[in-house]
Amino acid sequence: MAGKGGTTPTTYSPSPTTQKTKALIFKENDVDWVRPDGRDFHQCRPAFFRTGAVNAASGSAYAEFGNTKVIVSVFGPRESKKAMVYSDIGRLNCNVSYTTFATPVRGQGSDEKEFTSMLHKALEGAIMVETFPKTTVDVFALVLESGGSDLPVVISCASLALADAGIMMYDLVTSVSVSCLGKNLVIDPVLEEESYQDGSLMITCMPSRYEVTQLTVTGEWSTAKINEGMQLCLDASAKLVKIMRSCLKEVVTASQD
Amino acid sequence: MGLPNDSGDLSSQMDVDAFRRLFPLRFHERHIAESIRPDARPLGRARDTTIALGAVASANGSALAKIGSTAMLAAIKMEVMSPSKDSPDEGCIAIDFHMPPICSPIVRPGRPAEAAPVVSKQLSDTISSSGMIDLKELSLVSGKAAWMVYLDVYCLDADGALFDAALLSAVAALSHLHVPAVALNDDGKIVLMAEDDGQKLANAPVNKDKRKLTLRSIPYSLTCILHKNYILADPTAEEESIMETLVTVVLDSSSQLISLYKPGGPVLAYTSAIQDCVALTRQRVKELQAILDEANSGMEVD
Repeated sequence: MAGKGGTTPTTYSPSPTTQKTKALIFKENDVDWVRPDGRDFHQCRPAFFRTGAVNAASGSAYAEFGNTKVIVSVFGPRESKKAMVYSDIGRLNCNVSYTTFATPVRGQGSDEKEFTSMLHKALEGAIMVETFPKTTVDVFALVLESGGSDLPVVISCASLALADAGIMMYDLVTSVSVSCLGKNLVIDPVLEEESYQDGSLMITCMPSRYEVTQLTVTGEWSTAKINEGMQLCLDASAKLVKIMRSCLKEVVTASQD
Repeated sequence: MGLPNDSGDLSSQMDVDAFRRLFPLRFHERHIAESIRPDARPLGRARDTTIALGAVASANGSALAKIGSTAMLAAIKMEVMSPSKDSPDEGCIAIDFHMPPICSPIVRPGRPAEAAPVVSKQLSDTISSSGMIDLKELSLVSGKAAWMVYLDVYCLDADGALFDAALLSAVAALSHLHVPAVALNDDGKIVLMAEDDGQKLANAPVNKDKRKLTLRSIPYSLTCILHKNYILADPTAEEESIMETLVTVVLDSSSQLISLYKPGGPVLAYTSAIQDCVALTRQRVKELQAILDEANSGMEVD
């Protein structure tokens, strides 16, 4: 029905009437601007986690940080693909995809390939792959709605789904990012802030072991700024892991009752 | 389990879960003979069904529908297109059904599920032939601009009766759709009107009184399994994999038949069985109507 007359007509989404370029959310050398959602610079969005979102999977989790909503399903450990050679240790296979309606303009969820490999790298250090030799654990993520800081949310949610599936890990993995906007560092940036950022820093860590599994920095940073940003992320990770842990405990206590 | 133990039957010596995995057909047949299903439903009853509207903030209309543990998320994005020369006063609807790898162990990335294109085609056929939406309502400026409605349905959890859940989420999303107010600017492009813009705009909105679509005759469906002389309504994925003959009946709100699918299968259906399926669907339409009305009235209060 879409293909009326054979070809799909080209479409565009109507842009806002106010054609003047939108005023920057902050001004250069100004320290008193307000974030789009009214948070403090060093305040994260409220985080919501729930395990067991998908019954068909071995383990799964749903995460919601403001408008960022993701589901991660874990399948396995199961038979590796036929083409794989013999392996003494288990394999980790990841995939991140976006729904067509995740982004404000339809079908622009772009970084799928990059996110897939970054999710893999963030998790592989935390999983005890020797506990499932010859088999594969699949971690699939779907971003239902993109509201900024998508990858950190996917990574945290994936480690919760792995825990729900009973895959052995050294520790839960949490991920937090900060954006550098002018002179300020803002934690857990929303989509709008990410589009104006001068640089970003993302840390993925195992909070109880105080170990970092992944650190990415983009843009121009001074050493002092990097230190400040890392400390912000690590502090937020320590808080985030508490929320994730309580989510896992809730399920256990609920099933015991 | 309280089932009678026939002599010489392995089930007396075996763990229930092991019996279920080794002899799935016998396991189910013994339940059906007692007019009950493994999840404690009578044969003709559908699973608990819920609808949540407005689940996706970035979409113009959206709905999350759950039938048992089968979950579908439908969302609508409106874009503008130039209508074709044959029908200058009509918009268009593009419906797509996706099964991402998260929804089921049988779907792997890069290898799309076989079921997805089938359900996708059934969905667009059903919605277009039900006459639920008047494409003329989607016109903005005759011959110049019209709405292109992208309706995407994502399967979040696959546990049988995928088409039923997908159709329910699709019609729920259409009932929740809020058409944005737009105006024609000087370049002949359609632009959004700011919601609470105090300043007077030079251009008047082109769709002042078309903010909600009129839905005529909403289609609802029920899938049944035919097995021997039994009819099982709303099958789970396990039941679908064991007993393969499916019949899907689609009726509209006034119980008129819109479509009927019986895609092969080892059981040949007598007309009486088809009639029974239609009767079950008729009951189900009433249930689904009540659930959708309740979801919509809940939205109006907010």
